[in-house]
Amino acid sequence: MNSPEPFALFDCNLARLAVGKSCTNLRELLDVVRTASDATLEHHMMRCALDDHFELYEFPNDLARWCWDGLGDDVLGEQLGLIDPYQSASPAALRAALTNVVEERLWVLDRVPWCKPGLELHLIESRVFAYATGEQFATLAALAEAIPRLPLRSLFYHVHEARRRTAGRTDDFSDWLEQYGADPALVAQLRAVDFYFLNLNQLRAEFMDIFRQHLPETQAVMMAAGSEVRG
Amino acid sequence: MRLLDRYEEVVGHQEIERLRHLASGLKGRRIVHVNSTKTGGGVAEILGWMIPMMQELGLDAHWEVITGPPEFYRVTKMFHNGLQGMPVSLRPRDLDLHLDVNRENAQRLMLEADVVLVHDPQPIYLPRFTPTGRVGRWIWRCHVDASRPARSVWKHLEGAIPHYTAAVFSMAAFTRPLPCPMFLVPPSIDPLSDKNCSLPEAERLETLSSLGIDPERPLLVQVSRFDRFKDPLGVIEAYRLLKPYYPKLQLALAGGTADDDPEGAEVLREVTEQAGDDEDIKVLLLPPDAHRVINALQRSAVIILQKSLKEGFGLTVTEGLWKSKPVIGGACGGITIQVHDYQTGFRVHSPAGAAYRIRYLLRYADKRQRMGRTGHDFVREHFLLTRHLRDYLTMLLTLDQAPSALVA
Repeated sequence: MNSPEPFALFDCNLARLAVGKSCTNLRELLDVVRTASDATLEHHMMRCALDDHFELYEFPNDLARWCWDGLGDDVLGEQLGLIDPYQSASPAALRAALTNVVEERLWVLDRVPWCKPGLELHLIESRVFAYATGEQFATLAALAEAIPRLPLRSLFYHVHEARRRTAGRTDDFSDWLEQYGADPALVAQLRAVDFYFLNLNQLRAEFMDIFRQHLPETQAVMMAAGSEVRG
Repeated sequence: MRLLDRYEEVVGHQEIERLRHLASGLKGRRIVHVNSTKTGGGVAEILGWMIPMMQELGLDAHWEVITGPPEFYRVTKMFHNGLQGMPVSLRPRDLDLHLDVNRENAQRLMLEADVVLVHDPQPIYLPRFTPTGRVGRWIWRCHVDASRPARSVWKHLEGAIPHYTAAVFSMAAFTRPLPCPMFLVPPSIDPLSDKNCSLPEAERLETLSSLGIDPERPLLVQVSRFDRFKDPLGVIEAYRLLKPYYPKLQLALAGGTADDDPEGAEVLREVTEQAGDDEDIKVLLLPPDAHRVINALQRSAVIILQKSLKEGFGLTVTEGLWKSKPVIGGACGGITIQVHDYQTGFRVHSPAGAAYRIRYLLRYADKRQRMGRTGHDFVREHFLLTRHLRDYLTMLLTLDQAPSALVA
């Protein structure tokens, strides 16, 4: 094993800001995906993961959810649910992908779908306020042991935000483990997690499973105990 | 034990440490909150815990209250109604009175601070009458839905907005375009307060007995001010639709009073009249400090109601969810982000809708229990005061970084 700098744990909080605009129909949504700020699109496509309260939420982003629940356009909901913003090379590429899907849908519809009053999509943009917690992990075992008790916000910062920072290349955990000289299979497995389609609790569970597979039995038992305490 | 330490048992050591960490960047900062009442209503309750917690985190926080003659509160009640869209008729002298009271209070109150948070419309004109340089930043905290205000009210209030560096709303749906950044900070509840702490069973039963409520029979509870927007008459209508199916059903409508709400007495009279001689309807006018009574009522309810027609955030919903009760709420305001169909309760659009959903939940005890558990966890994650405080600290730190870059 190499000895890189210890893994520095960050936490983050979102400063959410109302844009002062809302969508009531599909034509307005098209206007939004064409003209809203990058921060607005990023919030509704990525950072909304921090607001995802229930495992029964069907789609991983606000736009897909609104088309399904608000507009009642299930087809468009499904299409937008499949757009993975972390696979977009840039905010412009994400915007182009969204515009293409919404424009295409609007093109084939006879009538523009509207939402009921009260179900409007209110636009938000956000700033991530991230900070080092002072907590550090020097070994694979220490990091694995911490996963069950991390705040979900930390998980979001080190996975979702890290992917955004690195244009989809890696999360912070696998990046650090790679430098640490951990088993490449562990690194590859963590990096292969389809994180965008999981809520943060599901993501934590998936990471814990992977760490357990790569840890000696006693440490895996400790991790399991940690998760029970948390539960 | 220090105040923050007491919350560790509810939210965990880590959350409290994070708060201390965030606040360390704001140590010694002079923060003043200004509102219009020390007692009654959600804002006074929030400030009651927020000020001491900010102080314990090292901020130099204070609470000031604007005061004026009774006529001032009648006018500002119209602002309150008008901001939420109710047609109101304002005379020029009403607007003058509002400005005069703000001018007098600007001279009287201790407003020298790095940040002054002005809550709701009553004190909104304080910045106009405060000497330049005395306050670093003014922030307007609007607790109600201001998205579709009465024109006459908004025309008067919007003149104050250019004095503010930022505004804060409870949710995006409550905002309207403003020329300053609009932060979103949902309110919260204090899990250790008298209104939300766990209660000894004997106290709960004693409270019910003193109110003439039978603990063995199902009880519906709506706790809110006697205000037309809370639709207490609609709740009675829903109860009457159910009574033939559940003859043992009881209903408690419990409302407090607030110093700044002169309309309450009139609505209370209408509700009492509507309840008539039905002994299973308890119309309870409670004093502002009856927190443990409200707690006991909510814990005794089989279902909590909040059948509002217009709502701010709806902290009584949060309180009900925290007590592991399903909530049936009007589909408006902050109820829509707290009550999720089949998850934490049901959103309804009419007295008939409320009656139908109550009937459903009375039939299925297992669903009530599951929704109750989900609601409790949901509140712990999103609507406790520690999250609220974290959002405020984040907002202050964000404004320190780049206030000009935040204008949409």
